[in-house]
Amino acid sequence: MSNDTIKLQAETRTQFGKGAARQIRRDHKIPAVMYGHGAAPVHITLVGHDAMMALKNPNALLTIVLDGDEQMALAKDVQRDPIKPVIEHIDLVIVRKGEKVTVDVPVHLEGEAAPETVVSLDHSSLQVEAEATNIPESVTVSVEGLEAGTQILAGAVELPAGATLVTDAEALVVNVTQQISAEALEAELAEAEAEAGIEHEESDEDAEATEGEAAEGEATEGDEAKSEDA
Amino acid sequence: MLIPRRVKHRKQHHPGRSGAAKGGTTIAFGDYGLQALEPAYVTNRQIESARIAMTRYMKRGGKVWINIYPDRPLTKKPAETRMGSGKGSPEWWIANVKPGRIMFEISGVSEEVAREAMRLAMHKLPMKCRFVQREGGDF
Repeated sequence: MSNDTIKLQAETRTQFGKGAARQIRRDHKIPAVMYGHGAAPVHITLVGHDAMMALKNPNALLTIVLDGDEQMALAKDVQRDPIKPVIEHIDLVIVRKGEKVTVDVPVHLEGEAAPETVVSLDHSSLQVEAEATNIPESVTVSVEGLEAGTQILAGAVELPAGATLVTDAEALVVNVTQQISAEALEAELAEAEAEAGIEHEESDEDAEATEGEAAEGEATEGDEAKSEDA
Repeated sequence: MLIPRRVKHRKQHHPGRSGAAKGGTTIAFGDYGLQALEPAYVTNRQIESARIAMTRYMKRGGKVWINIYPDRPLTKKPAETRMGSGKGSPEWWIANVKPGRIMFEISGVSEEVAREAMRLAMHKLPMKCRFVQREGGDF
């Protein structure tokens, strides 16, 4: 559970539009908007690096310091550049102590399933309702020793105390399936390669094997030569 | 290979290549992804080739998702043909990929295996790509 809040210094934004927003980004800051609880939206500017580091924590509870006033908020939407590691804009929703909020919590898997199985995570996050000051960082699901055909539904996932599930309880979270057999995989890939017209040159493995055989042959000849000398 | 079953127009204009991807820029299904850094037309053969390279390396573990689909036909006029006399015949099926697009995703393998599988796949594709993975805040 994340009880700590991360303090972020903010400044009120007075100029709007893409020109002003770009100028803010050039100054290594991030334009943001803060709203919630029926209050009028407040347009602010956050320090770029601090905000970026704070948002690395899932569902980070932020304390926005604006003109000496402190306001607790959660990041509702983060707009990122698709290529550059840059945050373009942040939507913050105001929360209060003791208020219940609905958030997406990441699901982490732990343990090793039975051999010859593939574990797939169908829902990488679960929507839960929790107190704003007590949001779970993640939900852990153990797949230790699970056999093929096992399915874990959202309702069966153990949630941290104080959190209730919002996602459909019947939603599939973890699915353990049997690994495809080596022959079936090889046949499938060979068929795909034939269809795509992919031809194999002498593979590295074959080359290594040939080299290995050659090296063994030399070694044997060498031994024989030594024994002859003796 | 991926080919549309039915199309409204057999011959189309060349898809636009400017701009960045508007969607599909975050990992949606797997744990690791291959992100395009340049615009390119990716043919269905290249997609299949990349998929085979990844699957061969990962052997029987893991799962691969293909997030792009070659739904645009490109035409070609026969060699040594005079200009005019209409548009050429459809020759390739391509996916119009723009920078930022996550083209492939992988799950169920370790990071090292995923990195190597994606590296092999990158060599089959016509643009610069990078390996990406889920981070703390993205899930």
